[in-house]
Amino acid sequence: MTSTTSTPLSGTDRLRPSATSAGRTSRRRMRKDLLRSRIAAWTAILVIGAFGMLPVYWLLATALSSPEQTFRFPPKLIPTDITFSNFTALAENDQLIKYLVNSLIVASITAVLSVVVATYMGYSFSKFRYRGRRSLMHMVLASQMFPQALLLVTLYAVFSSFGLLNTYTALVLSFTTFTMPLCVWMLKGIFDTIPDALLEAASIDGASRWRTLHSIVAPLAAPGMIAAGLFAFVRGWNDFIFAVTLADKEKQTLPPGLVSTYIGEFQTAWPELMAASLVVSAPVVVAFMFLQRYLVGGMTAGSVKS
Amino acid sequence: MTTSGISRRGALRMFGIGALGVAGAGVLGACAPSGAGTSSNSGDTKSKNFDFTSWSLNEEAAKPSIEKIIAAWEKDKSSKVRAVSYPYNEYLSQLTLKLGGGETTGAVHLDIAWLAAVAQMGKLADLGSVALKGGYTNVALNSGMYDGKQYGLPWNTGSIGVIANSKLLEKAGIKKHPATVEEFEGALRELKGLGGGVVPYAAATKVAQLKDIFPWMQTFGCTLLEDDRVTIGDDASIDAVTWYKKLHDEKLIAADVDRFDARALFGQGKAAFYDDAVIGKGVTAAQSKDKTLADAMQPMKRPVLRSGDTPQALLWGGVIAIVKGKGQDAATEFALHTTSDRATTTEYFAARALPPSTTAGLDDPKVAQDTFTTEWTEKITDTATGSPFWQFAQNAQIEEAVAKQVQAVLVGKSKPKDAMKKAAEEVTDLIKR
Repeated sequence: MTSTTSTPLSGTDRLRPSATSAGRTSRRRMRKDLLRSRIAAWTAILVIGAFGMLPVYWLLATALSSPEQTFRFPPKLIPTDITFSNFTALAENDQLIKYLVNSLIVASITAVLSVVVATYMGYSFSKFRYRGRRSLMHMVLASQMFPQALLLVTLYAVFSSFGLLNTYTALVLSFTTFTMPLCVWMLKGIFDTIPDALLEAASIDGASRWRTLHSIVAPLAAPGMIAAGLFAFVRGWNDFIFAVTLADKEKQTLPPGLVSTYIGEFQTAWPELMAASLVVSAPVVVAFMFLQRYLVGGMTAGSVKS
Repeated sequence: MTTSGISRRGALRMFGIGALGVAGAGVLGACAPSGAGTSSNSGDTKSKNFDFTSWSLNEEAAKPSIEKIIAAWEKDKSSKVRAVSYPYNEYLSQLTLKLGGGETTGAVHLDIAWLAAVAQMGKLADLGSVALKGGYTNVALNSGMYDGKQYGLPWNTGSIGVIANSKLLEKAGIKKHPATVEEFEGALRELKGLGGGVVPYAAATKVAQLKDIFPWMQTFGCTLLEDDRVTIGDDASIDAVTWYKKLHDEKLIAADVDRFDARALFGQGKAAFYDDAVIGKGVTAAQSKDKTLADAMQPMKRPVLRSGDTPQALLWGGVIAIVKGKGQDAATEFALHTTSDRATTTEYFAARALPPSTTAGLDDPKVAQDTFTTEWTEKITDTATGSPFWQFAQNAQIEEAVAKQVQAVLVGKSKPKDAMKKAAEEVTDLIKR
């Protein structure tokens, strides 16, 4: 009789087949879960992306459409009757060019003025201790609480008495009322992250306070200053109500200019308006493309304290 | 250590400063000198130079014609007219601010719906004696009156009424325009039977234009306002809104339609009736692919509840008012000339299809030969009336309050009786302010 002996399976070996299969199942499940979550994430990104890009697409599609197609009801998602005439008409409109130039002038000066003033104010709030500092800081922020309509009426009356209505000065000063407070707080946050030891070292090396700010602090805070400047530029570029109220046709900026030109009592020239909006938003897009790294850096610069 | 966080005390302080600031700004605004600017409207009334403020000076269709009128005036009188314009939707608030601040002088173009609100500021001249020289129609003259005084010389007088598409009516076998609400309902059902996505009546169902319900309320017998008492909420207004809801539920009118949508639907031959101003013909036809549409457009008397009732329509148009002070006399002459000089008004009609406000202007062959305009004046403008709510500065809020309640009925969120009761309460509150 032949006896067969078999080596008893070790505990591990005995478990291996089922463990392997369980492991495989688990890995498969994990892979499936990972795939599912990836698909879900991509779907969410696509949906959100499409949602975010739809207005831009609609802007472009309308700008390339004929008026007849624009007013088709229900509207068509993809234009079939493409025309570039809405863009060519823009170049022939001198008044629009004037509005564009006004916008560039006013928004740029607003940005520069806001950054310059906010730099000194933010630095003062951040690095100096004096009586009333906190009250001043809060006062600057509280100025953001004023209803725009109230500010507008007040500014109108004040500018009227000073003979400043219908001037670039009125526009720049009025835009600065709403751009500066945030710039000040933004830059104060950035200056807070610059260690006091650095300033002390500069002082020991003989640098004056003026020199310290301009030669040491300002270069370090440059991304934040650019971010604040961009913010102020965009706010100035987009303002409608201050520009329409405080300036006449000669000094008006693009937002009221576009509304005046294309939105009438009886109808709105949607294709032309969309084409113009697309073209005039180009400077802001270009500015963002070049300066976005500063913008991101500047916005987050105050988030970590030394 | 520097801190940028805001403590509770800091937040309170900030709110305190904010509140003080708001109060201070209010006081500053209130105390600011009015008319301290360079061009105060309290200046020389004999000045030959003045401003002419009009939203139409912005608009491509109107701008050349108005500039031509101004240029001819300047040449003839050796004067200088400064053209000032604001976008239509911003016009009233801008004008109010600038008129109050003394920045606006001379002649001011006003929508007749705004006249009362501007007249209440006390800055407009009474043009009663001048208006007699113009030869205006009675309806037109009334459109420039507020509180018994003639504050505006009527420039263009028209109305908002119903426009019909004769091609679609013919297709549905409708031989004549429906005259009563019952006939109208019948016609809408016939048109619905055409299929092909036809919206028989592209009535306003979006808040933006739901003020179009007012003439229907009046058709059902509601007066809207009687001696400062709001009558919305009476049986007639409830009946009107119940009827509107019925049309909506039977898909004889469509959901989410405003004036722009209505024009688009009508322009594509998918709507047989819609409400618009007389100028709607040109606007809608221009948007349409169908080049024969303009010929098919017909003004229609709004159907009445019972035969013999007066068809309801909302008066619509523009007047030129004169600001007291600098350039007042010359601006008055300019306004009279622009609104009543036959050649000027006829030429303006040819450019814009806006009906003149004088008998002579309407009789001019260039105007009289335009069948659509003539029929419109006879069928619609003739019985059109202004809204009793125009006398209130809160007119826009009043219209919106009622519109929101009507919309709540249409979407089934409210019953007509409850909605109209609420609308009446809201309007009454607004009137008291």
